[in-house]
Amino acid sequence: MRKSPHSGVVRGIAWSVLLWLASLPALAEQALVAHAGAGVEQLSLNTTRLMFSMQLERWPDGNAVRVFVLPDNHPVHRDFSKDRLKLYPRQLRRVWDRQLYSGTGQAPETVADEAAMRKAVAETPGAIGYLSREMIDDTVRELQIDR
Amino acid sequence: MTQSVNCRLTARLGRAVAGAGLVLALCTRVPVAMAVDWGDDFQVHGFATQGFVETTDNRFFGDSDDGSFNFTELGINVSYRATPSLLLAGQLLSRSAGDMYDGSPTVDFAVADWTVSSDQESGYGIKLGRIKNPLGFYNETRDVAFTRPSIFLPQVIYFDAVRNLLLSSDGAHVYGRYSTDFGTWSFDVGAGITRLDENVEFTFLGNDFNGELEPRGLSPVARIAFETPDAAWRFALSGASTTMKFDNEPGDPIGGGEVDILYGVASAQYTAERWSLTAEYMQQPVEYDGFGPLLDGRDRTIEGYYLQGSYMLRNDLELIARYSAGFGDRTDRDGSESSAATFGTIPRHVFYQKDWMLGLRWDVTPSFMLRAEYQWNDGTGTLSRRENPSLSTTVRNWEMFSLLGSYRF
Repeated sequence: MRKSPHSGVVRGIAWSVLLWLASLPALAEQALVAHAGAGVEQLSLNTTRLMFSMQLERWPDGNAVRVFVLPDNHPVHRDFSKDRLKLYPRQLRRVWDRQLYSGTGQAPETVADEAAMRKAVAETPGAIGYLSREMIDDTVRELQIDR
Repeated sequence: MTQSVNCRLTARLGRAVAGAGLVLALCTRVPVAMAVDWGDDFQVHGFATQGFVETTDNRFFGDSDDGSFNFTELGINVSYRATPSLLLAGQLLSRSAGDMYDGSPTVDFAVADWTVSSDQESGYGIKLGRIKNPLGFYNETRDVAFTRPSIFLPQVIYFDAVRNLLLSSDGAHVYGRYSTDFGTWSFDVGAGITRLDENVEFTFLGNDFNGELEPRGLSPVARIAFETPDAAWRFALSGASTTMKFDNEPGDPIGGGEVDILYGVASAQYTAERWSLTAEYMQQPVEYDGFGPLLDGRDRTIEGYYLQGSYMLRNDLELIARYSAGFGDRTDRDGSESSAATFGTIPRHVFYQKDWMLGLRWDVTPSFMLRAEYQWNDGTGTLSRRENPSLSTTVRNWEMFSLLGSYRF
């Protein structure tokens, strides 16, 4: 059987598509960010969850925690909840609502988009939030989540 | 004839427009209030809910057999984190619900919550004030439509006819949580003075007599819960006990006496990405003492349970189905003995209720939600006696259609 003269091109395209597919998860990855003055480099998954569910009000150094989130239907919020916190957005919402409407907690501050998130986290001491990787710059500190 | 039909239609249309107008007015005014900068530690939230109920027979939340808009919930919620350890929070609630509640504003809760210690392994604290009772999965936030699984909570456990009996109490609670590798345990234990109203009198004494039904002593309440680390499984056991004292007055056909009530709920829930299953089971032993022959023989254990499933068709669209059943006396589930005790004047179906519900929730935006539900009922056990004074004429098999719109900020 004769080899098609276009097979090189086809292979090239196939490889490009594969590489592009492989790069997607990395592009889509969300990271935990905090105010540049946060005194830690990493948080345990449990601590991170407790902070985002508004049940841990202080950083290990004693400062008040300020939680920022994107709207429930924002794709970055959905991905961060599911992939990093391992919670569905509606589970987080359930905890916030239960606490808020029974007088045992406050709601996190909701910001409109990632630019507003970066600005709020950069300017608020004690802030914690999340951003997609390409949005992270040196105005905020990226924190690792320990398993 | 035609004219009277027209009048009725016009009246209903008028109520519909008034209801929609109310929701719209709130929707448009609320963002103005939000624009005020209250500072980082001070938060104001609120909600506005309007419902519509239409039943084939019987009355549920107003004149539902003609279609009723008499279901409105308005709440304003303020909280102030004075220090990371001290939270002050309160909520004002106006609730119109048929003949049962007229919408007069009440202090739903007013709590000072002091976190004594909190870290990633454990935490505990103390609450003082008017506290919502931690019963079942839904009691604490039962009037916030966004937190309910359906337009109405399953009535066989969360009775609207006697909601105040278990709603909240003025007192003190101790709470805590403890994390293990398998999940998080939490508890909430307290005691306080129960808030009663005439709806409780109607339900437990059968009428609103001249004398007053009052709470006697402190009512204890407790919940212990367990949740797996991924929050997929949740389990809870909760209970409360309360004693009510009735001082009879001239003209009352019953003597003065006491009603002892114990209320216990076992709850379980599984949440997956797109679906969830919830089940709760409740028993409530009721004891009468000192009232004389009319009531003292009516000691019984009320029972109720439901199984509910939900499935998210889209991220903003949820389908819900539920079966629930409740019995006025768990040893007499078909109501035959209870009915015989009234010499058949009250039919059997008044002493139980079994129903199927199918509903749809649409989250139009994260802060605006619409719901539509249909319910098929056998029995009238959860209906308010106040709304249906003549129990013998209630219709055994009845259906209910309801709509709800809710906005929050």
